[in-house]
Amino acid sequence: MKGQAMPDHTTEQELRERLSLIERMIAEGRRNTESWGWTFVLWGVVYYAAIAWSEWGNSPWAWPVCVSTGVIVTIAVASSKTSGHAETTLGRAIGSIWMALGITMVVLFPALGLSGRLSDGRVFVAVMSAILGMANGASALILRWKIQFACAVVWWLAAVSECFGSEAQSTVVFLVAIFLCQIVFGIYGMAADAQQRKRRAIDA
Amino acid sequence: MPDLPELNPVVHGRLRLALLSLLSGVEEAEFTWLRTKTEATDGNLGAQLLKLEEAGYVAVEKKFVLRKPQTLYRITEGGRQALGEYVRALKQLLGPAGGM
Repeated sequence: MKGQAMPDHTTEQELRERLSLIERMIAEGRRNTESWGWTFVLWGVVYYAAIAWSEWGNSPWAWPVCVSTGVIVTIAVASSKTSGHAETTLGRAIGSIWMALGITMVVLFPALGLSGRLSDGRVFVAVMSAILGMANGASALILRWKIQFACAVVWWLAAVSECFGSEAQSTVVFLVAIFLCQIVFGIYGMAADAQQRKRRAIDA
Repeated sequence: MPDLPELNPVVHGRLRLALLSLLSGVEEAEFTWLRTKTEATDGNLGAQLLKLEEAGYVAVEKKFVLRKPQTLYRITEGGRQALGEYVRALKQLLGPAGGM
């Protein structure tokens, strides 16, 4: 076909359409395939439920039960939402951070609780806030996502303030951080994803 | 008149082009993910993937995860090269205004 620009039936418009198809599909493949905003909201609710139960019910089972429920619901919802799976280096990097965060919490906090060395609730909240700050910070740096980095800063500030405030102040700081970095950020993530989906549907 | 490039007919098919482009952005993808992204029917998707596999542009791995069959596709080096050459040929045919 050398010297013959394109087959007779292939118009210039068709070639342009092919080029735009390649662009669209490459972007689609690289896009983080699932919206994870709901997990932030879900875990915000889990933390609130655990705090409320341990505060008013005074039960040592509050955190283990709420976290276990959160893990089960996350796995169930995630597997029902995903229609097939594609692996990208970026997706694996982000997933690894949150997986490592989950394992750290599941290993560390029960051990601290069982050993009886978690007598000061502020230490628990400070460590939890610092770990959440680290996960959000790492994820934000990989994704170059300023809003998530702002969440990381809020968690780090919360972790530091836990070291100096009273028990009551510590609880308030933790509740505010959960609200901003889990509930508000999660809703923002879901809204941004819905908007992106709508824009793509219009473009298609 | 300079020689104009040839468009690879295996890559040129609309669905095959979409599949190669999708696979170029990921390490590997399940059949169901490709079906969702392309909105193709199972039969058509399977047929086009088979053509790409026969051309050596995609590699297939079949395995069982929790007793469920899973078919994973990944673009090969040959497929990546063919897609790159196709894009270059397309740009050349479209002239300077056709750049990505």
